[in-house]
Order: sequence, then structure tokens, then C-alpha cells
Amino acid sequence: MRRQEDKGRSQEVQLLLAERPRNRFVRGSLYLLLALIMVSWTFGDLQVDELFSTHRLRNLNRFLSEVRPFPLHGKEWDWGVALSWAQEIFKREGLEATLSTLGISVVAILLAGFFGSLMALPAARNLACSEPFLPEIRPPPLRARVFYALLAPVTRFALILLRAIPEYIWAFILLAVMGPSAWPAIVALAIHNTGILGRLQAETVENVNPNPLSALRGLGGKRSQLAAVGLLPLLLPRGLLYLFYRWETCVREATVLGMLGFSSLGFWITDARARLQYDRFLFFVLLGAAVVLIGDFISAFLRRIVRKA
Amino acid sequence: MKGTSLELDGVSVQYGNTTALEAVSLSISAGERVGLVGPSGSGKTTLLRLLNGSVLPDQGDVHVSGSPLYTLSRTDLRRVRASIGFVYQDHRLVPNLQVSQNVIAGQLGRVSLLKSLRMMLFPSRVMVEKAHEILCRVGIGEKLFERTDHLSGGQQQRVAIARALFQEPQVLLADEPVSSVDPARAKDAVELLTRISREENLTLVMSLHNLDLAREYCERLIGLRRGRIVFDEPTSSIQESHFSELYRIGEGEMLADGA
Ligand SMILES: Nc1ncnc2c1ncn2[C@@H]1O[C@H](COP(=O)(O)OP(=O)(O)OP(=O)(O)O)[C@@H](O)[C@H]1O
Ligand SMILES: [Mg+2]
Repeated sequence: MRRQEDKGRSQEVQLLLAERPRNRFVRGSLYLLLALIMVSWTFGDLQVDELFSTHRLRNLNRFLSEVRPFPLHGKEWDWGVALSWAQEIFKREGLEATLSTLGISVVAILLAGFFGSLMALPAARNLACSEPFLPEIRPPPLRARVFYALLAPVTRFALILLRAIPEYIWAFILLAVMGPSAWPAIVALAIHNTGILGRLQAETVENVNPNPLSALRGLGGKRSQLAAVGLLPLLLPRGLLYLFYRWETCVREATVLGMLGFSSLGFWITDARARLQYDRFLFFVLLGAAVVLIGDFISAFLRRIVRKA
Repeated sequence: MKGTSLELDGVSVQYGNTTALEAVSLSISAGERVGLVGPSGSGKTTLLRLLNGSVLPDQGDVHVSGSPLYTLSRTDLRRVRASIGFVYQDHRLVPNLQVSQNVIAGQLGRVSLLKSLRMMLFPSRVMVEKAHEILCRVGIGEKLFERTDHLSGGQQQRVAIARALFQEPQVLLADEPVSSVDPARAKDAVELLTRISREENLTLVMSLHNLDLAREYCERLIGLRRGRIVFDEPTSSIQESHFSELYRIGEGEMLADGA
């Protein structure tokens, strides 16, 4: 008696299970990821022993002797002398280069954040449709249909173009157009990061909880009002996290981009190397690392604040 | 255009293979106070959402103030929606805005983008005071500047009511507007809605699980069961047997059906 009841139930559960909505996509991408890991593991070709030949060790030794601060070449190590040497360089070139590196990265990321957020709106398919967040009450005219069918894909393609070209290449092109100043670096970083931030923000717009927005649409809100009153507060915390995260990379890239010839840390790094002054070279590399670290700390700190708010 | 009538004309709604509403027709005249009752899953939310065009039927027509909803132009639709307040069962507020901002957002359908930004960031004193007055009437005046998601469920529900009232609509559709509010405050809130309806000739349609409230405050009750209208009568002629028939657990239904 009891048995039979259980059997009936298990059949019913089986039935419900078979009818349940399934997310094939999630499962598919998991399998694909697994397959990719296996493939790269089997076909990857990493050889570790090449790294440690004697020839390399000799080079390393010579390099280490040359990076001693110049006033200390062939003398006993003296912290006082080393520090005053470092201070000298820092005052002469380091400070300005540090500030300009930070300045470039800040201006670039602000520009990228602004334009990225703007481009994210037409790139988000849930917003770039003729009736966002509610069902279409009647078919829109052909013109509107074509427009909205193209809007998101075209914007996304533009974003891909912006980020597919590396900062370094953008800077190179812009250097030819704008002449040597910090602006090619700023604009290059801004363009590349607009592509990245725009894409990330579009993704967060598409994943936003539609309910509050459908309510605003339902009481007569226009698309632009939904973006300003609903999306902006809903997405601001996440958007700021992305912004600070990309700013970290911007600091790093701004350091490197100096190699194209404006007064950032990268410029002095290449300058010192060209003059074979390996002591100064090392100093600027370490300063660059410090700047990147400081950037990371500030960013982590700001992100913590945002997360708490 | 004070006073707006509503009409459903042979409306059916399907979600996949569930039929949420089947051939429902009804008409509600301007200023009427209608209660919508029925078991969970009977189609109350669906019916209400048809009336502001946030659910579309597979068959049938909806008329608001005499004009068919589905032939309206975009601007007309926006105007009609601005005149219909909706209190959602799940509130649908913007969680990280202040309560005052959520309430003021009720006016969005009437203003330009620029004005709405100003209202959100630098609301005029008149506006804030009006929002405060409405919040006081629903009993949470002191929460005016609190972050909305710091409020309890019942408090948020009353913010949703306040937003709909701030909208100054012609029609108020309320989907279980007091489901998470305690009995005493629930009674107050329903009384408030009906009083405003009476004073301003506001058409009020609300679904209620609390049958006593429905009886006390609505002049007409519509009973829904499995997507069909079981009764649609003036409250005075409703008997206890109407309800027992409405909520009867049918054959093949498990106890927890439809939740
Ligand atoms: N978005 C949806 N997708 C699929 N099915 C839905 C959806 N919305 C509602 N339904 C189904 O339509 C039927 C009616 O739902 P509706 O929400 O209108 O009921 P209700 O009377 O408001 O119930 P409750 O009292 O629990 O709020 C239910 O069977 C429900 O499962
Ligand atoms: Mg419901």
C-alpha cells in the first residue's frame, strides 16, 4: 500500500524533472571550458630547464654589478650615499614622472568611464529595444525595428574595435597625429578602456534586475529616465568597481607608454637604458613598481568603500 | 479626464502551457472600488497587469477610458501609463535609492529627463514635503530619507503605495498592497486607498487575500479561480458560500498548489 504510493510519487517527480526548464547554455559552456583546459594541458609545450643555463647566469652577474648606484661603483656599500643618490634622481626626474604617470592614468580612466558608460546603454540589448523591460504592445514600424535590431550589435562591434587594438598601437597612431605630448597616451588609454568598460557595463545592464525598471516604465518613464533614475543607482557600485579595477591597469600601462617619448616613468626607463645607466634604469623600474603598487592599494581601498556603501 | 473606466473584452493569457486567464470579460466604471479575490495562482496579478499593458493577452482586448490600449501611439501609451498607478506585489522599488526618491519617481511619466534628474538629485521643498505627507499617511513618515532596502518588507510595501499615490493617478491598481503589513496597519492602508478613491473619483482595483478587508472596503468583488471569473457581484450580495466555492481545494490539486 505504502509502497505503491511511493512509486506513484517517484513517477510524478520523474515527470516533473523531465519537464523542468533546463539551461543548456550554462552546461554547454562548462563542458567547453573543461575541454579547453584538457586541450591546453595536453598540447601545451612548456620547457623549464631552458631558463637556467650557465650563459644566462653570467649575464645576470654582470647586470647585478652594473646596477649599483654610480657613486658606489667599486666601493663599500653605504646607505647614506645610496639614499642621497636616489633622492637626487627622484627630485630631478622621478617626482614629475610619477605625477605625470598618475595624472595620465586618472584622466584616461575618467574619460573611459564616461564614454564607456554612455556606449554601454545602446550596447545593452534589454535597453536597446523598442519597449524596454515591458512587452511590446504592438509591432513597431519597420524603421524602428531595423534601427533597434542593428543598434546593439553595431555598438558592440564598435566597442570590440576600440578594445581589440592595444593601447600601445593607439598611442603610436595618435603620436603621429597629435605630436609628442601626454595626450596621445591619455587618449590611447581612454579609447582602449572605453572598449573594455563599455562592454563590461553593457553586461551589467543586461543582467540588472528588470523589476524596478519595468515598474518605472509602467508608470510612464522614458528610456532615458529609466537609465538615469533606475539604472544609474542600480549599477553605480558595480560600475565603480570596474572603473577602479581598470584604473590599476591604466597606471601600469601609463608607465609603459612613456617609452613612446613623453615624460612618464617609462620614458626615463628607456632613456636610462639607452645611455647604459643601469643604476638609474633599476631605480626607475622600482619607482614604477612602487607607483603601480600604490595605485593598487588606492584602488583596493576605494573598492572596499564602494562595496560597503 | 477625471475618472477612468477599464474594460477587459474576452481576454485570454497563456504562459507556455499554463492558462493564466481564459476568456475574461469585465468592465469597471470610473471611480469604482473593486476587490479581486481568489486562490493563489488564479490569475489576479495577470489580470491587473493587463490593465496597464505590462502583460499582453493572446486573445481579446483591453480598453482604458474607452480607447483600446493596443492601438495607442507611443506617446499616448506613455500618457495613459502615467495616469495608472500600480502597487506591485513584490514592490519593485529601486533598492539603493532613498525612500523619498522612490516616492518622487512616481511622477516620472509627467516630466522631462532634465526635470526628473533635478527631482531626484535636488527635489524642491514642496515635493519633499508632499512625499513626507504621503509617507505619514501610510505610517512611515520617519523613513523619508532612509535607504529603501534598509526597510522591512511591510515598510517597503507602503513605500510602493506612497509612490503610486504620489503619481496622482486616475486609476490605481494594487496587487495585494498589504500582504506583508501587519493587520492593524493593513486595515489603515486599505482604508486610505479607498478614502482617496472616494475623494478623488479614483478607479481602484485591488487584489486582496484578506476577505474581511475586501468585504469591508470594496463595493464590488470579483472572484477568480483558475483563470476564470467565478463571481462578479456587488459586495452586498456576496455570501459566505461564494468564498468557500472559490477557495475549495479541487480534485487533483495538492494542498500547496499554485504557490
Ligand atoms: N511570468 C510567468 N511565467 C510563467 N507562468 C506564469 C507567469 N506569471 C504567472 N504565471 C502563471 O499564471 C498563473 C496565474 O498567475 P498570477 O500571478 O496571475 O496568479 P495570482 O492570482 O496573482 O497568484 P498569487 O495570489 O499567488 O499572487 C499561475 O499559474 C502562474 O503559475
Ligand atoms: Mg499575484
